[in-house]
Amino acid sequence: MGSANKKYWKGIEELTEEPSFIEQSNKEFVDYVPVDNFMSEENALSTSNTSRRDFLKFLGFSVTAATIASCETPVTKAIPYLVKPEELNPGVANYYSSTYFDGNDFSNILIKTREGRPIHIEANKNLSGAGVNARVNSSVLMLYDSNRLQYPVDKSGEEVSWKDADKEIISALKAASAKGGKIRVLTNTIVSPSTQSIIDNFAGIYGGEGAADVRHISYDSISYSGMIAANSESFGKAFVPSYRFDKAGSIVSIGADFLSTWLSSVEYAGQYGKTRKPDGEMSKHFQFEAGLSVTGSNADHRTAVLPSEYGKVAVDLYNAVAELTGGTRTSGGGSPYTEAIQHAAESLVSMKGKSLVVCGSNDKSVQIVVNAINAALGNYGSTIDLNHPSHLRRGSDTDLKMLTDEMNKGQVDVLITFYGNPAWTSPSSLGFASGMEKVGMKVSMATYFDETSQLCDYTLPDNHFLEAWGDANPTQGVYALAQPTISPLYNSRQVQESLLTWMGQPQTSYDYIRAYWENNLFPTSGAVFFEDFWNQSLHDGIYTVSHDEQHEEPNFAADVSAAASAASSSKSSELELFLYQKTGIGDGQHASNPWLQELPDPVSKITWDNYVTMAASDMKARGFNLNLGQEQESDMVTVSVGDLVSEELPVVAQPGQKPGTIGIALGYGRQVWKNKEKIGVNAYPFSEMNGTVSYHRNGASITETGNKYHVAATQTSHTVMGRTGVIRETTLDVYKAGDRNDFNPVVALPTHEGLEAVKNITLWEPQNTEISGHLWGMSIDLNTCIGCGSCVTACNSENNVPVVGKDEVRRGREMHWMRIDRYYSSDADLEDKSISGYRSMEEPGSMPEVVYQPMMCQHCNNAPCETVCPVAATTHSNEGLNQMTYNRCIGTRYCANNCPYKVRRFNWFNYIADRKFTEFNPSQDDLGRMVLNPDVTVRARGVMEKCSMCVQRIQAGKLEAKKNSSKVEDGAISTACASACPTHAITFGDLNDKSSRIANHDAGDRAYRVIEDVGTRPNIVYLTKVRNKETAQA
Amino acid sequence: MFRESEIRQPLILGHKTYGDITADVIRPIENKASKLWYIAITISSLIALWGIGCILYLIGRGIGVWGLNKTVGWAWDITNFVWWVGIGHAGTLISAVLLLFRQRWRMAINRSAEAMTIFAFMMAALFPGIHMGRIWLAYFVFPLPNQFGSLWVNFNSPLLWDVFAISTYFSISLIFWYIGLIPDFATIRDRLKHPVQKKIYSLLSFGWTGDAKAWTRFEEVSLVLAGLATPLVFSVHSIVSMDFATSVIPGWHTTIFPPYFVSGAVFSGFAMVLTLVLIMRKVFHLENYVTIKHVEYMNIVIIVTGSIVGVAYLTELFVSWYSGVEYESYAFINRFSGPYFWAYWSMMTCNVISPQLFWIKKIRTSLIATFILSIVVNIGMWFERFVIIVTSLHRDYLPSSWSMFHPTFVDIGIFLGTIGIFFTLFLLFARFFPVLALNELKSILKVSGESYKKDQTEH
Amino acid sequence: MAGKVLYATYDDDHKLIEGAKELVGKGVYINTVYSPFPIHGIDPIIGIKRTRLAICAFIYGLTGLLLALLGFWYFMISDWPMIIGGKPNQTLFQNLPAFIPVTFEFTVLCAGHGMAITYLLRNWTLPFVQARNPYPYTTDDKFVMEIYPDYEHTKEDELKKMIESTGSILIEEK
Repeated sequence: MGSANKKYWKGIEELTEEPSFIEQSNKEFVDYVPVDNFMSEENALSTSNTSRRDFLKFLGFSVTAATIASCETPVTKAIPYLVKPEELNPGVANYYSSTYFDGNDFSNILIKTREGRPIHIEANKNLSGAGVNARVNSSVLMLYDSNRLQYPVDKSGEEVSWKDADKEIISALKAASAKGGKIRVLTNTIVSPSTQSIIDNFAGIYGGEGAADVRHISYDSISYSGMIAANSESFGKAFVPSYRFDKAGSIVSIGADFLSTWLSSVEYAGQYGKTRKPDGEMSKHFQFEAGLSVTGSNADHRTAVLPSEYGKVAVDLYNAVAELTGGTRTSGGGSPYTEAIQHAAESLVSMKGKSLVVCGSNDKSVQIVVNAINAALGNYGSTIDLNHPSHLRRGSDTDLKMLTDEMNKGQVDVLITFYGNPAWTSPSSLGFASGMEKVGMKVSMATYFDETSQLCDYTLPDNHFLEAWGDANPTQGVYALAQPTISPLYNSRQVQESLLTWMGQPQTSYDYIRAYWENNLFPTSGAVFFEDFWNQSLHDGIYTVSHDEQHEEPNFAADVSAAASAASSSKSSELELFLYQKTGIGDGQHASNPWLQELPDPVSKITWDNYVTMAASDMKARGFNLNLGQEQESDMVTVSVGDLVSEELPVVAQPGQKPGTIGIALGYGRQVWKNKEKIGVNAYPFSEMNGTVSYHRNGASITETGNKYHVAATQTSHTVMGRTGVIRETTLDVYKAGDRNDFNPVVALPTHEGLEAVKNITLWEPQNTEISGHLWGMSIDLNTCIGCGSCVTACNSENNVPVVGKDEVRRGREMHWMRIDRYYSSDADLEDKSISGYRSMEEPGSMPEVVYQPMMCQHCNNAPCETVCPVAATTHSNEGLNQMTYNRCIGTRYCANNCPYKVRRFNWFNYIADRKFTEFNPSQDDLGRMVLNPDVTVRARGVMEKCSMCVQRIQAGKLEAKKNSSKVEDGAISTACASACPTHAITFGDLNDKSSRIANHDAGDRAYRVIEDVGTRPNIVYLTKVRNKETAQA
Repeated sequence: MFRESEIRQPLILGHKTYGDITADVIRPIENKASKLWYIAITISSLIALWGIGCILYLIGRGIGVWGLNKTVGWAWDITNFVWWVGIGHAGTLISAVLLLFRQRWRMAINRSAEAMTIFAFMMAALFPGIHMGRIWLAYFVFPLPNQFGSLWVNFNSPLLWDVFAISTYFSISLIFWYIGLIPDFATIRDRLKHPVQKKIYSLLSFGWTGDAKAWTRFEEVSLVLAGLATPLVFSVHSIVSMDFATSVIPGWHTTIFPPYFVSGAVFSGFAMVLTLVLIMRKVFHLENYVTIKHVEYMNIVIIVTGSIVGVAYLTELFVSWYSGVEYESYAFINRFSGPYFWAYWSMMTCNVISPQLFWIKKIRTSLIATFILSIVVNIGMWFERFVIIVTSLHRDYLPSSWSMFHPTFVDIGIFLGTIGIFFTLFLLFARFFPVLALNELKSILKVSGESYKKDQTEH
Repeated sequence: MAGKVLYATYDDDHKLIEGAKELVGKGVYINTVYSPFPIHGIDPIIGIKRTRLAICAFIYGLTGLLLALLGFWYFMISDWPMIIGGKPNQTLFQNLPAFIPVTFEFTVLCAGHGMAITYLLRNWTLPFVQARNPYPYTTDDKFVMEIYPDYEHTKEDELKKMIESTGSILIEEK
């Protein structure tokens, strides 16, 4: 598609073309240099008797003038508004509550705007259970993507006017309706009630008796229709229930990555976090899965199973539960994991009514068995809410199949598709692309000229969600509003308005939604005036219907034995392929977001690629290279299932993966930002349509191509080498026993006065940290940290962290201020400190336990980095912050070398200009630059940078408190990472405020500081990880 | 008058008069340079140009063109820095310390040794400069008054100590060297015929007259400067070593570093002096002044310092094990068994084993063997610094940040470049400066000259 | 006296020393001696006092030391104390250990440079200064005595004879 040379306004002034601004912006230098106009005037020259001496005077003067002019820097002073919008103060951020739904993630969000630019997305913490993940808080960047579709285009990608497009489409619709043809609307799950009603009206207008047969088909890029079918069979209702992980004391997940990608993972992560506090009732989590997912890495007990065995495992679990509860066994099952399943069943039964079993399989019968287990455990009504079903997934694979068949038969006259990219995400066997050719008129409404759009006659740019009005009905009885925070950057029109136009009742979606809420929701609210109701809902971003709930318990009524035998039927094969989603990229609609591409995968720590994951043993057998590193080359293979052969992919060893399986991440194979070549390989074609879409394939095979490939990982050594100073972990019973020395002994060193706690040992009279008022610090709970990486992207967005790209990451130069260290447990003997001992310690176990450790500047009170800086560019604030003075830094990198935590990041290149980064660093793009946070300096080349503990937020918070002449309340200030954490693992606060949460954490038994024996006295407190399992098994 | 014992071998061979000495030393300046010299300087200056090119690219593009990463923030840059500083130590040690100890044999080599010191330090000083991310702000390291008034440097930083140590040592050595040169320039001035040359050398000679008073002051200054320079020799490398010793990185945080670095410096310095002097001796036919005896003396110094260094290595290992600190002990186990084991073992062979060969008189007095070993030693010393810097950094406290360092062509180019520049400068020196200390040689001719000793023994 | 100066050239330093002894003994005033290298033992004979350069050096050094300490106190303690690595920044004494290396270096720097400059000035050996030695060969291999004759005391030819007898190879009057 041709790129439009559109001018992007850099602020209200330019938009409103305020004369002073225009003038200033054109006038970079003082243009009045007297000698010029003297020389220019002909007669002045002739008349004036300028002697050589005079001329020299002028010359001298002009040179001086020129010099002065050149000293003048570009005008940077802020120009006041002619008429200032009352809510908008330059330099002060505005927050708008809104709603995020992209067909995959749902989240109630707060949008931070500065001078009318949305720059940061946070969870709407006013609402319980609201959280964000990396995908949600990174989505703000894509608003400023200049690769977005900027104007309506036709098949060839040539620009067309809205008028023409509308005319064509309407006539096509009319024609189809006249001849009683088929009109199809294909979308992702529609969660917006108003949009749904628009579609219904649309159907009403063009369809009906003697008119076209109009149908709305919804599907999901990652299908859940197996589960929906199972529920309709079990309870007579086709829906996805709401899960309440926070009420679950025992959780069993069979291949469901519910913490990072499965269903409403943001919500579940928050709920899960609540149950992982060892001081209260700590939940016990069992995971059965093929590859090591984020959820699996957090499980207390994890068993690697073949994807084809999910059904068997479910059945065996059902039987085991039946045994214990005196229920009736069923036939089938027969998986080899009896002990683990027995163990899980016992735990479930012990938590009867407070337990939860979920399954990631999209197979109806498997889901029925799972429902049966939950029913047998009496979880319905407690941990699973059938009365308030979730509306986030409504797609039906059978409908999609039916549609593609119609298309391929050439029966569809008009196909309107929006929200989603079926041509890319649907299984190749479905033949969607081929079907498209036989459709009369194909219209796509999308933000990108994507794979589907390229097959369409017209592609109409939809607004980015930050430019659009919208509403949502995520679960029954809960309604949310989404409001625009910026006027559309491009010549785009949001879907609803397009549909309304074609229905001949053009209307802004704002008016429509308002009307819809007035007619449908306002009556339920009991408010007196609609204005109040509307404003309140808009301010909160959410409205909950307070209708009395019907409490009749829908009882489970499906044929278990049939389902069980069906579930157990699937045969296993020599090599099984499973397709999974990565935390960063999800279903792939954000694949073009450089922030997410550079976010390392929580488990593999690999960026910018998808790859084939394999068990180390399988790779050894094939002689593949297991190591990651700058100059370590991974072997390339092609994967083939049946007649499908993938493009080349590198192979990467994944500890914890079931031998005999290979995994490939979905959502890759797309262009990123301005990158010309595609990143990774699209794995969707491997998904298979048999009734419901299956993401497991048997009979896969890999063939070595002999090519090598450099994979870019941010962490290349995988174990903690038995260093208890870095990671402290224990098991629940040891912790409950309550003797700190057993799980978190105080770090002490022998001195001439005997054993002395490190924090008391000092060479000099230490600085007094109490007198200074505040002592800012953070506490990080290793127990609730699930490693999702939401904090990392939030930090990138808040602190303008540059994107450096695959090659630089490979060279170990990623710039993330906040990183999450992932350590696998090793099977080696940690006491053996011999050479061979250390060697074996470096090897992660084949089925390791995983621990995540968020790592950022520890803000040490005795900071090694400060001492060594020759120019005092990094010093300590009297509030305990380790400060970095960029414009004083000369870049000796001595501080980074001397940092025991290796959290300092150096600007190796001029990231905002160097040619190497043009293609993926947003700050090099005129528009992408608008996402930058004006409160944070963009660092120059050759300067050291690191976590500042969001000092700009601290200052803002202190000013706020000052304005209210009150002390800074605990929780009033929060860092980007802390507020982005869906599980609230990170707490920011004032260590001197003894009543603060962080002070309590610090006082607690689990508190420790990383490598405390070095004596750096950090202000970051870590809380020991506690696994809910028996010590015997540890 | 003073007579040297007959047992001592003469330091000036053949029957020389004062005039002969002048003639011999000034010959290269008076005559056309040999073909050999032209070949040598062409090669070295070409390498130098390549290096300068790399430096310009580095400054133009950013430190990223080096192979460094978030874990290994220093590698070849500081390795080269310490290496050159070390080499720069022999000069002053020879001329100052040996002067204090009244070691006559120094006189044949001190001039060129000092020259080497100066040039080596120029190379050394280059690296802290270009390794900065923002070299254009290098002046920040000096406590200059500025518009912020209260913006001063951090005197707690070993890197700042370096700034002072290096600049002091460099300037003092320079002065020491030049003051010694002045009378010899005068000699050249008074001898040369060509007017232009005469002009240049009379300018360089600062109008030296050589009257008794001047000579007394001259000797006094030399003595005192020697006295000042001697502690410098030891302080400079001690301070350089503190860059590492005062840090917290296992493998760096080692209290024996100061003495260990100093002896290592002398070790490598003498090796480099040998390399150069042996070449010079051949090219300019100074066999009569730089005798086997001189070479042997220097080799003995190398045995001593080399052994000290060896002991230091072993002490490090012992302490790392004895301390029981897991990071410390792992750091050293990783050194000799980890991914960089090859660097460690080449260091061990070059620095600990090879100098021990000098116990054998045959090798000690063989020019070829000495020449080869002198180069081997310097290779070893380069590896020592590489091992200390990189293998300590690449695997420190948090395994999550462990990584490897891989040099780029710029790393290599700049290192070779400095060697090129160094040799270019030295060749120019050898061509246009008196490579031996004329006045000093003359003053010992009577006591250590071969023929004179004969006369003494005859009657 | 009359502006006449005698220059007696010797080709050997020992001859010159012996000669000088003899002449001085006979009351001849030897102003100075030009030689290509320091002749040990000549100074006392022709009455050259010991130089005081060393003392200067000491004073310069002392100044350097004090300047350094003053600087540290002002930069790090008085003007704008900063918390650096948690080190004490209240008094110079507490923070002193960190400053010792630079103190030493700066002392040596001042002493060395100070003395060198003094030396060059005192000798008047500076750039663009013209040499004042009577014969070029005094910097090569000859030794020249500079004598201020006093003809009232001894006749000219006597004096010359006297000098010749000490083994001078050339006597000139300028």
